[in-house]
Amino acid sequence: MTPPDKSQNVPGSRRSFIAVLPALFLAGCDWTTGKRTKSALKGFQQFNDWVQQKVFDPGKLATEYADEQLTPEEDFRVNGYDTDEPDMDIPNWVLMVDGLVRSPGDYSMEQISTLPKYVKNLRHCCVEGWSMVPKWGGVLMKDFLAMVGADPNAKYVSVECGDDYYTAWDMASTLHSQTLLAYEAYGKPLGLEHGAPLRVVMPVKLGYKSAKWITRLTVTNEKPGGYWEDRGYDWFAGL
Amino acid sequence: MRTPKVRQHPLIIRITHWVNFIALGIMVMSGLQIYNASPVIPIDFDFPKSVTLGGWLQGGRQWHFLGMWLFAINGVVWVVYNILSKHGRMTTIFSKKDFGGLLPMIQYYLRIRKKHPPVRKYNALQKAAYTSVPFIALGAVLTGVSIYWPVQFGWVTRLFGNYDTARLWHFLFMSALVLFVAGHLFMVAISGWNNFTSIITGYKRVEEV
Repeated sequence: MTPPDKSQNVPGSRRSFIAVLPALFLAGCDWTTGKRTKSALKGFQQFNDWVQQKVFDPGKLATEYADEQLTPEEDFRVNGYDTDEPDMDIPNWVLMVDGLVRSPGDYSMEQISTLPKYVKNLRHCCVEGWSMVPKWGGVLMKDFLAMVGADPNAKYVSVECGDDYYTAWDMASTLHSQTLLAYEAYGKPLGLEHGAPLRVVMPVKLGYKSAKWITRLTVTNEKPGGYWEDRGYDWFAGL
Repeated sequence: MRTPKVRQHPLIIRITHWVNFIALGIMVMSGLQIYNASPVIPIDFDFPKSVTLGGWLQGGRQWHFLGMWLFAINGVVWVVYNILSKHGRMTTIFSKKDFGGLLPMIQYYLRIRKKHPPVRKYNALQKAAYTSVPFIALGAVLTGVSIYWPVQFGWVTRLFGNYDTARLWHFLFMSALVLFVAGHLFMVAISGWNNFTSIITGYKRVEEV
């Protein structure tokens, strides 16, 4: 670097050049939220979804934490989005199963809990950025899908909930060995705010894929939407 | 008489510089948008709209996950070019023989030494800066991977502790890059118009000694 040449240092031009940078960003505010930009970003999101699907290795396991690393039960939180807890008729609750399954129908908690029980300390990562490690208890989703005779070659499984929530997963993530149908947290029956009587825990995906208050599972080959997915959020949402 | 010009920045350096300007702008601003959804620093503070990009959480995420490709690929091009090219090795990459140039430059900046030590394109301090900042960028990319894919690349996440601490590290690497840019802009501002235009035109007028 050579010492500045004073004759070239026109103060006005230097100042105006420095002013150009913030001006560029301020001008950016208009087109960054325009229609064309939005659809281009949406298109690129499809590409990232595709990359995530390619990168996903069903054999990779999420960290299972020791009890000492659990999030304290008093910090077991729900998402920041304002949701109303649905009135769940817990004693009469059944999980409806339909689509590409051998034995469609309604499954009671009694039937579901005949499957082997697993307790796992898994991290729940919210799309907002926060995370927590609760102690979950329940059955493996893949055991339940085997019980109802779901076609493992089907592409998707979608879920409906006691509120207006719905979402869906690719079959590989649904059959992942850490995907749970949880009816317990911290060794106690799941509280209503956390999805009682039965919720999904899917540590290989962002939190909005772990549906609460589930009432219906459908095995399908047609790509289903989801509450947040239909509002612009990632469909695959892998971690 | 027109002063002679010297070739300062090869085309590939000029292109990657301005692509990086755009990519880093996208990454920082959309990152601050994502930050606002659930601040990683536990204080009651949101970044104002004027420094965020995307308008809402998923808008910020869409920009961030577009910008990440631009930032990473452009960064790899810059690093590979500088390592493989004679230009990069001679002018930009810090090497053993640059250690001797550090002290004179520090003395010059502290006004202990009057005369600017003779240099080609970058002095030893600049070489140190331009050779170390890619490592900070690498840190930003790796911490990014560790919170984008904490299961698929769980071993990267574990390098930075856990998901929550990796997220904090991601924020810190970003802050370090922003500090670098601030220092860079300050140096550009005091080095004058002739120096600035060289990153656009590639050429710089040489002063008579």
